[in-house]
Amino acid sequence: MSRRLLGAAGALALLTAPAWLASPYHLHVLIMAGIFAILASSLNLLLGYTGQLSLGHAAFFGIGAYASALLTLKSGWSFWLALPCAGIAAALAGWAIGRLALKLRGAYFVLVTISFAGVVSLVSINWMDLTNGPLGLPGVPAPELGPWSFRTKRAFYYLVLAAAGLAYLVCRRLVRSRIGRAFVALRENEALAESVGIDGTRYLVLAAVVSAALAGVAGSLYAHYTRFVSPEVFLFSYTVTMVIMVVAGGQGTLMGPIVGALLFTALPEALREALSWQWQMLAYGVVLIVLVFFLPRGILPTFARWRRSRASAAVTAVPDARPGC
Amino acid sequence: MLKRAIVTVLTLLPALALIPAAGDAQAPIKIGVIEPLSGPVAASGNYVRMGAEIARDWINARGGIGGRRLELVIEDNKSDPKEAASAAEKLIVRDKVPAIMGAWGSSMTLAAMPKLEEYGVPMVVETSSAGSITKRGNPWIFRISPPSDMEALGLESYVDKLGLKKADFLAVNTDWGRGSISAFGDMLKKHGVQVGAAEFMEQSATDMNAQLTKIKAAGGDTLFLTTAVEQITLVLKQGQEQRLQRKIITTGGSSSPTQLIKQAGAAAEGTYHIVFFMPWFPEAMPDGKLAKAFVDEWTKRGHPFEGLTEGFRGHDGIATLAEAVKIAGKDDAAAIRDALWKVNFTALNGPVKFDKDGPAGKESGQSKPSIFVVQIRDGKVALPDFLKK
Amino acid sequence: MEQLLQHLVNGLVLGGTYALLGIGLTLIFGLMSVVNFAHGEFYTLGAYAAFAVVAVAGLPFFAALAAAIAAGAVLGAVCERALLRPLRGQSIDTVMLVMIGVWIAMQNTELLVWGGVARSIPHPFPTAPLSLGPLNIAPLRLFVVGAAAALIVSAWLLIQRTRLGTAMRATFQDRDTAALMGVPIGRIHTVTFAFGSALAAAAGALLGPVFLAYPSMGDLASLKAFSVVILGGLGNLAGATVGGLLLGVAEELGAGYISSGYRDAVGFIAIIFMLLFRPAGLFARRERIG
Repeated sequence: MSRRLLGAAGALALLTAPAWLASPYHLHVLIMAGIFAILASSLNLLLGYTGQLSLGHAAFFGIGAYASALLTLKSGWSFWLALPCAGIAAALAGWAIGRLALKLRGAYFVLVTISFAGVVSLVSINWMDLTNGPLGLPGVPAPELGPWSFRTKRAFYYLVLAAAGLAYLVCRRLVRSRIGRAFVALRENEALAESVGIDGTRYLVLAAVVSAALAGVAGSLYAHYTRFVSPEVFLFSYTVTMVIMVVAGGQGTLMGPIVGALLFTALPEALREALSWQWQMLAYGVVLIVLVFFLPRGILPTFARWRRSRASAAVTAVPDARPGC
Repeated sequence: MLKRAIVTVLTLLPALALIPAAGDAQAPIKIGVIEPLSGPVAASGNYVRMGAEIARDWINARGGIGGRRLELVIEDNKSDPKEAASAAEKLIVRDKVPAIMGAWGSSMTLAAMPKLEEYGVPMVVETSSAGSITKRGNPWIFRISPPSDMEALGLESYVDKLGLKKADFLAVNTDWGRGSISAFGDMLKKHGVQVGAAEFMEQSATDMNAQLTKIKAAGGDTLFLTTAVEQITLVLKQGQEQRLQRKIITTGGSSSPTQLIKQAGAAAEGTYHIVFFMPWFPEAMPDGKLAKAFVDEWTKRGHPFEGLTEGFRGHDGIATLAEAVKIAGKDDAAAIRDALWKVNFTALNGPVKFDKDGPAGKESGQSKPSIFVVQIRDGKVALPDFLKK
Repeated sequence: MEQLLQHLVNGLVLGGTYALLGIGLTLIFGLMSVVNFAHGEFYTLGAYAAFAVVAVAGLPFFAALAAAIAAGAVLGAVCERALLRPLRGQSIDTVMLVMIGVWIAMQNTELLVWGGVARSIPHPFPTAPLSLGPLNIAPLRLFVVGAAAALIVSAWLLIQRTRLGTAMRATFQDRDTAALMGVPIGRIHTVTFAFGSALAAAAGALLGPVFLAYPSMGDLASLKAFSVVILGGLGNLAGATVGGLLLGVAEELGAGYISSGYRDAVGFIAIIFMLLFRPAGLFARRERIG
């Protein structure tokens, strides 16, 4: 089965999903998977391509969600204006983090991102006048385009599908360009990259900005789908989920995070079906451990390797593991 | 080879979610239950679940509803609003429940509310206290727990008897804690009581010494404490370490005085607690026989006694829905919703009857729960000293 | 003024346990380069072990500490052998993901076994606080500080003065040379992980009676531990100790003077500032940025 055929079949399946999926609940799962696919792809830019782990990514997601919710709820803006503004708001935060933190590398960068997310989370809980604190913002309006409302699941699904597709294209363009190659060079050996004139900080800040913008867009979509935003969007567990999706799916590949997003959005729901509530999360943890054990490089790279070894082509192994922190 | 097989199976595991739900012949009546069964408030969520299960078993022992068995479909919202919404969706679409009880925390309930409107399914709210829940114009919401302002009204008649002059507040930094401070603060100010410091603690915080030092300095005669029993225990113990000497009143009904006595010991002596169920003297409840039977059944099942102050909510929620199904005569969501307006019976907490609340035309239902005050004296739970003649 | 002193005292008590957590993690994260998200779960394990020993088995309180340390060490060794050793060559993110899985699995197992209700761990100390002038401190907390200090000193002695400690330091400074010199690398890794986990468990057994034991208590502990490790410099024991104390004091002062709601934010902001001006941590030398 050639890659192209597989890709076309997948795209067709996604485009016609509302038709063949058994119930609106499945469509709901797919919508959440789409939002997380955008999130995972955005994190992948930092983690997979430039090699910097951001454990505060939920902050960009949350900033986008709140920005979009506040603009539409309190200022009466249209969703179509609020969405890009959410991306811009998150991008600004990404730029701030980039400039502040990317003089640091490795563990230090990670810690600053965690701290940043922690601060933003606490602000959202305590700044009652702006965010309504723990009471949250209910009643976020659904997007409307002239006479059409995106309130229905089906309509919103296509919106998310389009957004996810766009995000994928943006990432692909970036990764395959000169900038993308600079990212990879920085990841593999920063000193060497700098010696050929690649300004590490400048490119890493760029990666942070684009990454944050995409996450902010995902946040806006989330806010207008669930129509309720509360400080829980900043939960560390969201960041952990994103990291799982990227690493288990295959970091440093374009489709890896998307596969990871589909898998790890569907998995908890499948466990909800299969097991009673006491065992669900325990099973999730075990599945994660087993998956990583058997597929340490991530799903997509391992499948690619299997196909390659089956074809018995002579392939020189490219090291895709990041050097240690 | 085996490795590949295992991996392929694992990757395909999520496809389980695609399996269509099985249909049934003489189907039982299903009611969905959404509670936090894991995460930081897992204890409370589980107590509510246990109470719901007792209600279900009692109903089935009496022949079910209209001859049909009652079945609870229980989902965990993992203390996350996103999960609460997903759980609601799954219950409505996959399990086809005509009614739900949930979702404990106010943010969880608020997150699930749009789904109720989307699919037209009623939900009985058994614990959440945020005022906005019944004011949002969602006609599918029926709440049997008191919002913070109702709770404050419940204490109003005792303000003079307690001799409050200046009160400080310490609350958990959630919608519940904040709502409580504003509701009780307003009520106290109306009675000429001065309001001093208002401090907060994060939901997962364990060290409240900084806040207690500030409260000590504020110098009030009473401290209003709103949080769950674990944090109350810590506050009492740390207050004792700092020699904080003043009246302490806990609000919110999650204080589980029995557990406090066990865990805080002497530090809990003399403290007052607003509760919505009194398992220590069930005969004093509006339906004494029912309350006693519930306490006995709970103890028989080996559930911890301290869970009764929250477990009753699960029972009352299910009992309310069962009443509605009986009145409606069928397990259809819209019919149940209409029937809920006609519900009028006495549950464990007291009478359940819904009044209209919220914007005209889209009112939610709010019942008027009974409010009780107890005190810990001599290491036991008793009626408060100011009530004795 | 007395408020300030009280805050400082409270901060030091808290900081002592942050230091214990930090030392355990600085060995695991700093030396072994394992992003151990399950570190907080060993802390929880220690608390529940103490509960099991004291409340269930009825043994004396001091046995609880020993039991916790043993439990942490054994489970840590098992984790390392079963999960980390086979993944030794893999990327740091893969290992991180496995530890996330362990974190989820351990926490939910605890939930399953003990239930969600918080448990109180009884202790033999009187509850009335000791008064030192204007300050109040509970005897239990004094014990915690003392025990933490003793454990920290023992850890330091083990690393600096014993052959095992030398072998550990050699392995992580230059693995290949150490191997050539006959150091059993595999066993050292196991011992290091077990040791770090045992320290976390000890912290749990000490703080459990002060607070309460409940399944999600480890989440915040993990986060604080990582902060302490990076503040103090990866692999740096003295740095972790000082960093832990500083974090505890900063949090207390922030909660006391700025705002109790923003308590954790103060810690975070302090970290951000620290890293901006001294990115290598408090102790710049003797430091390994992998």
